[in-house]
Amino acid sequence: MEGIVLALFVCLVLAIITKYLSIPPIPFYILGGVLLGKSGLALVTSDEIGRFFSQMGLIFLLFFMGLELKLERIAANRSAVLTSGMIDLNVNMLIGFFAAYLFGFSLIESAVIASAFYISSTAMAITSLVENRKLMMREAETVIWLMVFEDLVLIIFLAVISAGDQNPFIFFLKIAGVLAILYAIAHYGKEFLISLLDRSDELPLLFTFAAVLTTASFSMYIGVPETMMVIALGAALATTDPDAFEQHARPFKDVFLVVFFVFFGITINLTGGVDLVMIFTISLLAVVSKFISGVLTGIFIHESALAGIEIWGNTIGRGEFSIAIAALYGSPPVAAVIAAMVIVTSIAGAFTAKYCTGLRKWMVMPGRRPPHHAHTGR
Amino acid sequence: MYYCSFMALRSVNLPGVGTKYEFTTDKGDTVAIFFTKTGTIQMYTLQRGCHTPSAAEMTPMEARRLGNILTGAIIEAESESVEIAFSALADLRITIHTYLIQKTVAGRTIEDLQIRTKTGVTVIAVSRKDRNIINPPPSFVFETGDAVVVIGETDQLKRFEREVMVD
Repeated sequence: MEGIVLALFVCLVLAIITKYLSIPPIPFYILGGVLLGKSGLALVTSDEIGRFFSQMGLIFLLFFMGLELKLERIAANRSAVLTSGMIDLNVNMLIGFFAAYLFGFSLIESAVIASAFYISSTAMAITSLVENRKLMMREAETVIWLMVFEDLVLIIFLAVISAGDQNPFIFFLKIAGVLAILYAIAHYGKEFLISLLDRSDELPLLFTFAAVLTTASFSMYIGVPETMMVIALGAALATTDPDAFEQHARPFKDVFLVVFFVFFGITINLTGGVDLVMIFTISLLAVVSKFISGVLTGIFIHESALAGIEIWGNTIGRGEFSIAIAALYGSPPVAAVIAAMVIVTSIAGAFTAKYCTGLRKWMVMPGRRPPHHAHTGR
Repeated sequence: MYYCSFMALRSVNLPGVGTKYEFTTDKGDTVAIFFTKTGTIQMYTLQRGCHTPSAAEMTPMEARRLGNILTGAIIEAESESVEIAFSALADLRITIHTYLIQKTVAGRTIEDLQIRTKTGVTVIAVSRKDRNIINPPPSFVFETGDAVVVIGETDQLKRFEREVMVD
C-alpha cells in the first residue's frame, strides 16, 4: 500500500512539472516507474493493489476509446480515412516488424513490437494539435482520422491475437453474443440510461464504473478478451449519450491510467542488461518510418510532400496504446524495447509537434513551390 | 440561425477533439471555431491569400462575451451599461444601465420621484446589500448605496441622469 502511495506522489509531482512545461507526461510516468521499481531503487514492487489499479487504467483507456469510436462517422469519411490509414499501417508495420525480426525477436514478438511501433499516441497527437493551435490546418483533420483508423486496427489486432489458442468458430460466436447483448442493452435501455446519466448524485459515476467492470469480468469468465469487450461497451454506449459517459468515465480513466503507466515502468526489468544499440536503432526507426508514411500521406491526400511533414510532426509520439500492447502481450525484453521507444518518440514528438510548422516554412524558401492554402476546404 | 442560409457554415464533429464550425465570408476570409473536449474554445481566422491562420483561445465565458459583441449587444466602455439591438424589430435598441443611489434620492419612492412620467425609463431591479429586488413596486423607498438597474432608450437614460440622479 505504501508503494502505491509513493508512486502516486511521484506521479503528482511529475504531472505538475510536465503540465507546467507543456510536455507529454506519459514518458515521465514510465521513467518515474523505472526509477522506483525493479530496475531502479526498488522502492515499489508490483503488488495486488497496484496490479488491480493498472488493469483498471487499461480497461478505462480502452472503454474511452470505444466511446470515441463512432462507426457511422468513419463510414462517412471512408475514402480519406482508408488511404491515409493504409499507408500508415503498411509502412510502419513492415518497418517495425522487420527491424524487430532482424534483431532476433521471434515472429510473435516481432508482431507485438510492430504493432506498438505502428500505433501513435492519440492523446499526444490531439493535445499537440490543440495546444500548438493547429486545428485549422487541413493536415490536422488527416491526423485526427489517422488516429481513428489506428484504433480500429488495434481492435482487430486484439481480436486476432487473443483468438490464438481457441476454436475460432466458438470464439467469434461468443464475441458476437456479447456484442449483441451490449447493443441490445444500449438500444432498448436508451431512455433509461439517459435519465440515469442526467442525475446529479452518485448514480451516473457508479453506473459507469459498474458497467465497465461487469463487462470486463463477464468477458473474462466466458473467455473472450475483456480488452475488446470494454471497447465494444464504449461503442455501444456511445449510441446513447457519449458525452455524459465520457464525463463520468474520465475521473477513473485519468487516475487509473497514471497508475498503469507508473506500474508498467516499475515492472520493467533491465537487470538482465539491455542492448542499447538495438533500443536506439528501433527508436530512431520509429521516428523515420513515421516520416516516410507522413510524407506519402501528404503526397496522396494533400498533393504536397511538405504537408507530410506536418502529419509526421504530430504523429511521432507513441504512447498509451503501445504501452497497452506491451503490458498485454510483451515478454520482458519486448516490454523494455517498447518502453524505450515510447520514451524516445514521445519526447521527440513533443518537439517536432512544436517546430515542424517552422521546419516546413524553412523548407519553402522563395522560389520553391508555394505552401498550400491552410483551410480544409470541406 | 437566419444566417445559415446566407453563407455556407460547415460543422464537423472531430473524434477526440470536439466540434468544428467553419465558414468563408463573401470577401474570402475564413473563420473557424473549435469547441474542444477540454472545454476551451479556439477561434482561427485566415485572411484571404494568407497561409497561416491566427488563433485565439478562449474560456467559455470569454467566448460568450465575444458572441454578445458580435450579435450586436454592444458593451459600452463603462461596464455597467449594456445596449441590446434587435435587428429584426426595426433596429430597436434598448439600453440597460446601473446607477448607485446618492443621498439626494435616498428616502424617496419611485412614485414620488415620478421616474417613468418624467423620463420614460423603468426601474427593473434594485440590488441592496446582498439581495436583489426584481420589479420594485412604485412605493419602493430608495436607500443610499442601493444599485438600481434601469431600462430605456439612450435619450431617456440621459434625461433620467439629468433630472433624477442629480447631485
